[in-house]
Amino acid sequence: MSYFVDPETYRAYKDRVLELSQSIQINYPEHLPPEKRKPGLSDEEIAERLGLDVFTAREIRCVAEREYYGLDEWQKALEFKERACRDYAKRGLSSVTKKYKPKSKGS
Amino acid sequence: MDGAVEAAETDTAQAHAEQIKAAAEGFGADVVGIAPAARWDEYVPEGYRPYDLLPDAKSVIVVGTRGPTAGAWRSPNPRVMEVLGLDFANDRAIAALTGWVEAKTGHMAMQAPGLPVAGHQPPFSYMLAAVLAGLGTRSFAANIVLNPRFGLLYYSACITTLDLPGDPMLEQDVCPAPMCVQTYKHIGRTPCMAACPADGGGCLDGKIGEDGRIEEAYYDRERCVSRAMNFGPVTFQKVLVDLATEADPDVRRAKVNSDFFSRACSGVAFYKESVAQCFECMRVCPVGRQERKLK
Amino acid sequence: MNDQSPTLSAEAARKMIEDTARKGGALVFGIADPAGFAAAPEGHRPEDLLPGTRSVIVVGGAKPRAGDWASTDFRHMELSSTNDRVTALAMKIANLIERELGYYALTVPPGVDAGQQPFISLSLAAELAGCGSRSLAGPVLHHDHGFVYFGALLTTLPLPYDAPLETPACPAPTCVSMFEEEGVTPCTKVCNKAEGGCLSGRIENGRWAERSYDAARCTARVYNHWIPSFQKVVADALDEPDADRRRMMLNSGLFTRTLWSMTYANISQGQCFECVRVCPVDARTRDLR
Repeated sequence: MSYFVDPETYRAYKDRVLELSQSIQINYPEHLPPEKRKPGLSDEEIAERLGLDVFTAREIRCVAEREYYGLDEWQKALEFKERACRDYAKRGLSSVTKKYKPKSKGS
Repeated sequence: MDGAVEAAETDTAQAHAEQIKAAAEGFGADVVGIAPAARWDEYVPEGYRPYDLLPDAKSVIVVGTRGPTAGAWRSPNPRVMEVLGLDFANDRAIAALTGWVEAKTGHMAMQAPGLPVAGHQPPFSYMLAAVLAGLGTRSFAANIVLNPRFGLLYYSACITTLDLPGDPMLEQDVCPAPMCVQTYKHIGRTPCMAACPADGGGCLDGKIGEDGRIEEAYYDRERCVSRAMNFGPVTFQKVLVDLATEADPDVRRAKVNSDFFSRACSGVAFYKESVAQCFECMRVCPVGRQERKLK
Repeated sequence: MNDQSPTLSAEAARKMIEDTARKGGALVFGIADPAGFAAAPEGHRPEDLLPGTRSVIVVGGAKPRAGDWASTDFRHMELSSTNDRVTALAMKIANLIERELGYYALTVPPGVDAGQQPFISLSLAAELAGCGSRSLAGPVLHHDHGFVYFGALLTTLPLPYDAPLETPACPAPTCVSMFEEEGVTPCTKVCNKAEGGCLSGRIENGRWAERSYDAARCTARVYNHWIPSFQKVVADALDEPDADRRRMMLNSGLFTRTLWSMTYANISQGQCFECVRVCPVDARTRDLR
């Protein structure tokens, strides 16, 4: 058995696997009612849902997690943190809220 | 069961719980909570519950410790906390406590495995454990569990066959804080959402209901990975794929010798550098801020 | 033993050091005569690391707890196994000897020197210090505590030596009985070389007469996600002509996990415990409620 899945299988299932996984987390707080709470599925549950074996489902998830964003997002992350941290040190909370504040009528 | 025996056992369990909490604090925990193992049934699928890891597990003891110092939070240079965001006090405390439980009570105990074993997935979620042990509630900020006193904490857990009285889960949500509810009413988002908005290239979105509670929460974990795991195993792997598919030897050499890849290698080599590398949603969070105010 | 410190007798120095070790969590403590390392390869003897070494101090501990052994998820111990705590204890003792007693002390690095060879064999040091004996499974086992992690330090301080064990901890009496009945012991049964595992051996007169160990296979198990798997996947990927398949290899779960293990080397050193899991030597210490 190979330790990786073939690219064709990966391409065929990756979007569906990601959708069911915990990559995008919607409504996780425990206080939400069961009908609204949507925790991601385990690899076992994803495999069952998609008719895959657990190894294949897990492997597709692992690769898809890595490929979700390109390396440019990692470079952008540096710029984001540099700006956010230094702005907050200068201007406090308004560094993040000011741009969303409704414009006053006079402005 | 005979009433007197039952009462005596309850007293013993209560005494154990108190001793355990005192010991945990002695080992460096800022907070300690206990959750009965059965609480997991409602929240996670089979395979991820305490007794899936330790047969006959009855309780989970959770410790939380503070991460960056107040001084580190004040630094205008984000790289300070990227490199030394925390010192693993939570892991040291739980390792000592786990040994203590076995030695003092004669019951089995194990440090719950919280590192990833398949992609991002760990065998056991420390964050859920913290919620179930009454130490905090989930927040809009990356679903991070906020403690009412300290805000952001780092958690570890010990699974044991010792039957202990559980602490109640928090009834009052820690997030959103009253100030954040006001901000949301005013600008349509909380400070953390404003700092890292999903509709502005960030990770977070959500809605607060009429009752002042989280009604909807959205978190793009994969974008968060690019920020919170900016350097370390994930980045190393991504650059390696890039190198292995790069045809031009000059470009390949430039990538190998780049500062970016050097920092990725450093994150792999020095594990303390690879734990948490983005704090921007927490930086603007008001919960626990009073604990970070010093002279 | 050798001569004595002018300010503290060798016996008193030993007691002070052992007390510190025990207080720091050592389950096992012993001192070896450096002359016992004569059989070790040149360059890997105490004198090669610290000229004038007169004592080799060995501490052992940080063994998996009863709950760890009881876990049904094998990955748990992959994420909690470490000799870091014992190495830290050895360093603490080294500092004590230099600062309090005024003799040179050097902690034996737990990693490997060139050619993947240990600087000093910790297993040999443990045996010579009477801290245990080699087992069929591989690790040095202590009579009471079974498998423990070892740390060692070299010092120019002369101390009373311990002698190697007269009776080995392995094979345990129950293993001898099992071998007589089935021709295997618990460890050779669970990881049997003839069945794709690593171990085989024969007992005669209550002692091991033959032992066969497939170190390469053991590496694949104990270092399941570690430097060898890193090298193997990279080599595999570089040989792969198809770029898509290369990408799948480098993004695979195996490689991802390997990078995490390498990063968190402090808690993921050992990744297979199956031969020791079934070992009865320290069964008493694993029997909790």
